[in-house]
Formats: sequence, C-alpha cells, structure tokens
Amino acid sequence: MQRFLIAILTLSALILGCSSDDDSITISREETYRNGILVTNEGPFNAGSGTVTFISDDFTVVEESIFKKKNAEDLGNIVQSIGFEGDRAYIVVNNSHSIQVVDRFTFNSVALINEGLENPRFFTVSNGKGYVTNWGDPADEADDFIAVINLETNTVTQTIPVVLGPETITANNDFVYVAHEGGFGQNNQVSVIDSSIDKVLKTLTVGDFPNSLYWDAHGTLWVLSGGAPAYTGTETPGVLSKINVNDNTIETSFDFSNTQHPANLCGEGNSLYYSLGDGVYAFSSGDATVPNEAYITNVSFYAMTVNRGKLYGSDAKDFASKGDLHVYDLMTKDLIESVQVGLVPGGIYFN
Amino acid sequence: MNLKNSIVFLLLYASCMSVTGQKDSITVLDEVVLTDIRLLHFADAKKVETLTPSVLTRNGNSLTDLLRFNSSIYLKENGRGMLATPSFRGTGASQTAVVWNGININSQLTGQVDFNTLVPRNYGNVSMRSGGGSVQFGSGAIGGSIHLNDVFNFEEHSRNELALTLGSFDTKSANYKLSVGHEKMAAGLGINYINSENDYAYLDTDKKNENGAFETASINANIGYHLSEGHLLKLYHHTFLGNRDFSGTLTAPSNANYIDINSRNLLEWDHFKNRNIGRLKLAYLYEKYRYYPNKQRDEYSSGNTKSLLFDYDYKVQYKEFIVNALLVYTHSAATGNAITSTKRNTWATTLLMKHNLGEKVTYGIGLRKEFVSDFESPLVYSAHAKFELGKHYEMYVNGSKNYRIPTFNDIYWQFDAGSRGNPEVRPESAWQVEIGQRFIGNKYRFECTAFYIASDDLIQWRPDAMGIWMPVNVNRAENYGVEVSLNLSEKWGKHQLAFNNSYAYTHAKDIISDQFLMYSPRHKFTSNLTYSFGKWEFFHQLFFNDRVFITSDNSDSLSSYTVSNLGFGRGFDVGEKLKTHAQVQMDNLFNKNYQNVAYLPMPGRHITLRLTMNL
Repeated sequence: MQRFLIAILTLSALILGCSSDDDSITISREETYRNGILVTNEGPFNAGSGTVTFISDDFTVVEESIFKKKNAEDLGNIVQSIGFEGDRAYIVVNNSHSIQVVDRFTFNSVALINEGLENPRFFTVSNGKGYVTNWGDPADEADDFIAVINLETNTVTQTIPVVLGPETITANNDFVYVAHEGGFGQNNQVSVIDSSIDKVLKTLTVGDFPNSLYWDAHGTLWVLSGGAPAYTGTETPGVLSKINVNDNTIETSFDFSNTQHPANLCGEGNSLYYSLGDGVYAFSSGDATVPNEAYITNVSFYAMTVNRGKLYGSDAKDFASKGDLHVYDLMTKDLIESVQVGLVPGGIYFN
Repeated sequence: MNLKNSIVFLLLYASCMSVTGQKDSITVLDEVVLTDIRLLHFADAKKVETLTPSVLTRNGNSLTDLLRFNSSIYLKENGRGMLATPSFRGTGASQTAVVWNGININSQLTGQVDFNTLVPRNYGNVSMRSGGGSVQFGSGAIGGSIHLNDVFNFEEHSRNELALTLGSFDTKSANYKLSVGHEKMAAGLGINYINSENDYAYLDTDKKNENGAFETASINANIGYHLSEGHLLKLYHHTFLGNRDFSGTLTAPSNANYIDINSRNLLEWDHFKNRNIGRLKLAYLYEKYRYYPNKQRDEYSSGNTKSLLFDYDYKVQYKEFIVNALLVYTHSAATGNAITSTKRNTWATTLLMKHNLGEKVTYGIGLRKEFVSDFESPLVYSAHAKFELGKHYEMYVNGSKNYRIPTFNDIYWQFDAGSRGNPEVRPESAWQVEIGQRFIGNKYRFECTAFYIASDDLIQWRPDAMGIWMPVNVNRAENYGVEVSLNLSEKWGKHQLAFNNSYAYTHAKDIISDQFLMYSPRHKFTSNLTYSFGKWEFFHQLFFNDRVFITSDNSDSLSSYTVSNLGFGRGFDVGEKLKTHAQVQMDNLFNKNYQNVAYLPMPGRHITLRLTMNL
C-alpha cells in the first residue's frame, strides 16, 4: 500500500512538474535525461567500470549507470569527465583511453572514439572542434598532448604536443586554455592554443598545480592553482590568477598563505567559490583579496560545482563504496539534499 | 595413498606421544630431520592440515591452485598466473604468514607473498596452520600460516623424476626432481619451468587475455649431512625468477610487465643429545621486483630488500615438559625508487612451553616479545589445550594475541604515483580463539573447528584530505566461522578410493561500518575424489566460492561460482627401472565463466597433458 502511495505521489509530482513547465520545449519521450544533474563516477581503479548517475532537478528520480542501461555495455575504466557540445555529451574514459559520444538527453551511444587518445582527461570545444587533454604515457614526461577531434566524424584529426600534465581545459571561440596540473609529476603552466591554427600560442606561468578554471560574467578567465603541498619537499602557496584573454596575459594574482592549498574553483556569474581545507570560500571577481573566512564550514568535497544558487559537492568516502552528492543552498548555507551516487563521484554536470 | 592422512597422523600422534614417552614413535633423529618442530610440538591443539606429495602433483605448479582446490583458504588471483594472494578466515593478504623451512618469508615491502611464485610440487609437504600464530611465526600470522617444508630422507636411495606438460594457451612446463641419500647424507633438487602465452578467450565476449603471457623458473635445492654423532648440518636454497606480463581488465587494457626475483638461503646446524635439540640458523633472503607500466618503454619502478637472519632455538624435554626458547635477530634493508635506503633491526624472543597432564590432556603457553628498531611492537601470547577423549576422538581449544607490523611500504613509501607511506602507522593486532574437535580413524578423519577473531587497528591505504593515498589504522573487524573437513578412504583389492572435502563458513565484518569485508566469501566448499585401479587413476576436484563484495559498502559483488577439474592417467613400466605415467587433465570442466577478481575473467575449459618419468 505504501509503495502504491509513493508511486502515485511520484507520478503526480512528475505530471505536475511537466505541466508547470510552460517553456515551449517539447520533451520527447526518449529524452529521459533532460532537466537534471549528471554525475560521473570514476569507478574502481583498474578493475571495473565507471558510471554516470542521473538525478532529476527535483531529486525525485535518481538513476544509476544510465549509460549501461541505455547501451547495455560498460563505459570503461575511470570515467574522468564529460564535455558537452550541442546535443552531444563526450564522456572521457581515462584508463580505457576512449571517449564515448552520446546524445546528452537520451544517453544513446553515438560513437566511440578509441584511436589517438592516451590517458585522456578533459574535453572542450572551440571553433567547431573538440580538444582533449591527454597525459600520454604517464612514465614519459614529454609525450603529453591535446587531441583535436573532428566533431562530424568523431575521429582524432591532429595532436598538439604540450608541456607536462595537461588537465582541465576550457575555451572561447578563439583560444583553448589548458591547465597543466602536472599528471603524476608537477607543473605550473597554462597553455594557450590558437584554435584557428591548432598551435600553442604561448604558455603562462601560474601557481604550482593549477587545478581548475572558471569564466566569469565579464569573460575573464580565472585559474586556481593548489600550490605544492608539503610532501613535495618545497611547499608553495596556492594562487588564484586572473587572465586577460584579449592579450592572454596574467592580469592579477592572489596568493594564499603558504600552507593553504585550494581547489575546485567554480561559480556563477561573478561569484566564485573554491574549497580549502574543510571549508568552501566565496570570492567576487572584483574583490581585492582572497577571503580569510570560509563561506560554508565543515564540508569537504571530492568534486564541487555551483549552479542556480546551489552548491553541489560530492563525497567519495573511502573510494571503495558508493559516494554521495550533497546539495547546499548558497543563500541559507543549508544542506538541502543528499543523494547516493556511484563509486568515486568525480564530476557534476547539468543537463 | 592420496590421502593426507598419513602425515597428519604422524604429526598429530607423534607430537603427543613423544611427550608421554609411551610409544616413542619418533626418535630424536627423526625430529631433528624435520625443519620446523614448532609445527610438531606446538600445533597439536590447532587445526593443521598437511598436503602430501600425491596432492602436490595434481595442483603442483602453483600454491594458488593447490590451496584453491584443497583448503578452506580463499585465493584472490588477478587473472591466471598473475599476482595471487590468500585470505585465511576472512583476513587480508598480509595476514597470512608464509613460513619456508621455519623462516617467515613474507615480503618486507608488501607484507604479502605472491602464491604464484611458489611451486608446491618441489617441497616435501605443504602444511596449512589455521588461526593466529604470531607467537611462533611472528608478524602477519593472524589468519593462519602456510608452511613449505623440504624433507630429508637419510636412507640409501636415488630417485629421479621428470615431468613434462603441454596445455592450452600454449602452456608448457618441465619439472625435474632428484632425491638421493644414504645414512650420512641426504640431498634434494627440484627445478621447475613454466611458460605460457596465456591468451585465453574471455568467455561470452569477443575479447581475450591480451597481455597475460608469463614465464617462471624456480629451483629448490637442499642437502643435509651428519657431521658426527649429534650434529647435523643442513643447507636449503630456493630461487624464483618470474617474468610476467600483467593482464588488463575487461575495461582497461594493460601493457605492463613485472619481473621478480626471490632468493632464500638457509644454513642450519643442529646439535642434539637425548631429547634436547639446539638449532642454529643463518638465513639470507633477497627479493627484488621491477614493474614496467609500459613494457615497450624503459621506465620502471623497482624495489628490493635484503634480510639477514640469525636464529637460535633450543628445545628441552624433561619428563612431561617441553620447553622451547627462541632468539631471532633480523636485519632488513630496503631500497627502491620510492623508498630511500631504509634499515630495520628486530630482536625477537619467544618462549614456548608444553606440559602433558596425564595421558589425556596436554596444554601449553607461549610468549613473544619483539624489539623493533623503528617502532613499538606488542607483547603477544598464546595458550592451548588438547583433550583426548577417546581412542578416535580429541578436542582442542586455543587462544592467542597476534599482530602485524607495518611494512616498509607502509612506513617509508615516498610520495609516488599519488600515494605515500605514513610514519605514524601502528601495528595491527588481533585476538583470536578457536575450538575444535577431531575424529580420526583408519579410514576417516573428520574435523570441525569454530573460530573467532577480533582485529584492531587494521591498516588500510586511503586518500587523505589532499587526495594522497596513505596507510592509516582505520578498521576494526570481527571474523567468526566454522570449518569442517571430512576425509575418507577405502581400499579393496586393486581399488582405492579417497574422498576429501572441506567446507568453511566465514563471517567477516568491519565493525565500524557494519559492512562485510571485501573479497571474503561466506561459503567455500572443496571436494576431491580420487579413484585408482591398478595402474589407472581417475580424479575429480571442485571448489565453490560464494559471492564476494567488491565495494566496502557492499553495494556491488561478484557472483559465486563452482569450478571443477577432471583427470585420468595410467602408469606404464618401461623395462625394469623406468616407470612412466601419462595423464590428461581437463580444467574448468563445465566451461564456467567466472571472475575471481572483478573484471579479470578466468579461463574457460582447458586441457593439460602430463608425462611423468621416474627412474
């Protein structure tokens, strides 16, 4: 009886949810995964498959392993990230050296790119082409590259050699920006690639271990570097760098104190957020200094992002069990939702 | 003849009877010839099972296969022939001690032993001692210990055996054994070589094991010599050389290669008078590995350790008492690309005592204290008692405190590949009790054992706040269960039948998270049936592994499976002296598609032809 009641309630919630959507978007019945959150779960290292979890915007629907559900196959080992372009999602699978191209709303497989990639990490699009960071062979510090992908044929058409450890990547229509966190080593560079000629235009030196990138509402690019932790022998502070993308120079840098190693730069408009220790900090693109006080305290996330006034953070727990996605209201700072996701949730995206 | 009974009987009965002195079935000489008297005198109130040469022949190329089919121990093998580790009673891979001729040979780097690097057919016998044994065998003997013993035969004899096999996946092996001896001298030699393409198909897929080829060689050599009345000198050697590609998984290809060398040398001088025996042992152990993440490239990671061991052991027997005192000094040094040159010195003192109370009851206690140069090691102790309640029935009870010291990797691993050692990590400790009973007759042996283990400070590698993996003492676990074994044999005329079975129920839980431990099956069952008629022999063996959880929150698991092997063979005498035996063995008879470790499929049905020549 209770189950029946829940079913009725869920159903009515869905109907209400749909009918109140007075946008003129027609939701085709197949587009199961429109209006929701996609979480990439890396999966167990080496022996297993990562997954993607879908969570509807109202948190009433949580679906695990949606790629496998739709395509009856595993995504592959270490699902690193997803990049989007139009109706397509490009799921980067690190240890299987491949990208699964799917329809982002139905999650039906469109293509598998498994040639020309070696330890791919992140995907972005510029000038109508896909760009993927690749570590190459982790043992070789000089073979790292960006794979350029023809989005019509879903093939790697070219590789651009870059310095060690390309990690996160972002772009506007003219330039591609690559943060070199350093792979298994250490680096402090941001490569700027001209996407009209697919060549590295210049490299900018930022802080050690640049780990995240963010575009603010002014079209300014922010680079957050974690700084070198104590175990490296030479501890360096985290640095937040502001890049002027008109002339591709570093406009301003904000230094953290020496033992502070921030990560997970994300934001909404000109409000930036990052994690540091067990807190989340807020920073406005006009601020003169980085804040001393945490905005939200006693939280520690494996991955973190911000969307429509909410902060989404994942907890990977012991890396051998299912993780959680926690959602905070950025106004009230209250935890408003917690959802169980898959093994090692490392990426949070919005459909 | 295929029963393990005979040796087990010998061990069990000899141990109690030598004390009562009524039927001195073994002389001091026989006792000296045995390598490890701790198994003889101080293990009778425990579950000990010994596998004899006939069983060692059948699954003799790797300790993994041997124990999978012949014991309650759960084996975790990363694809056929790859790294393999045991789990005794639901404990971890580094909580099993491997004792080679009385010396603990667990890796100083990982605390584990790769069971695919040990070739059981070259040993005289292999014993499995269940339950805690840290007092006697040191760090790591928490779930149990595996004992590999060379056996000396001081009788006038000379035996040669050559066994050649040819099998599926382009697998070839050759094994040569030599045993010679006379009253003063006994020597043994065993050489084993295995080469396999190992490119088996992954069942129900279009994939195959792409990078699983391996080649291994091992040499066992030992010699014993009676210097004079009351003085015996023994020398043991073992070398293993492995060159293995490491299989990829269903979702991640691999191009890795692993080369390892293990060398063990032991010189032992025994002096004995009446029933008192002194043993001086000097051992040198060497281990080295090179791991190539990409075998096409030159980069590799490596590590090696050298251990020098000095061990003096004195056993006194006075009336109804046996007292055994041991003093062991170990110097270990490790280097590697992620470990700067590190040394560890350990002094271990052990006192073992056993007393025979009348004819029916024996009891004993043990104490061990170690002094380790780089941290505090706990005092561990044990107590045991055995009651013979009938001609064919006895029961036993024992309890002990056991420990495992952190390995060199746990402590000294420098930052590499996103992980590092933790100098703050403490030794693991475990309490355990065991109660068992045995019914032993001429044609049967039934044993039933219940155990309970409470472990604390279990070391686990976990990511810290920065995402750096490092070992921490996080877990507390509780394991309990029941093990049952039933061995039957019958003989009529030219017919012989042997039927050996084991079943284990294991409950192993992390008591902080209240979840079952990963890779610990609740049920394991093994069964071996051998029938021989004259020169013909047939056998069938199987094991069942229950499903195992592969995530710590028990959200994902691997299915259970039963794998069985069928074989038959016939002996042929060629002339007076040469005896040959031809055998066909079909492994995984029912072509079961199973995974022992997630996403690493094991081979389907495959066949091995074996020709053995004895001279």
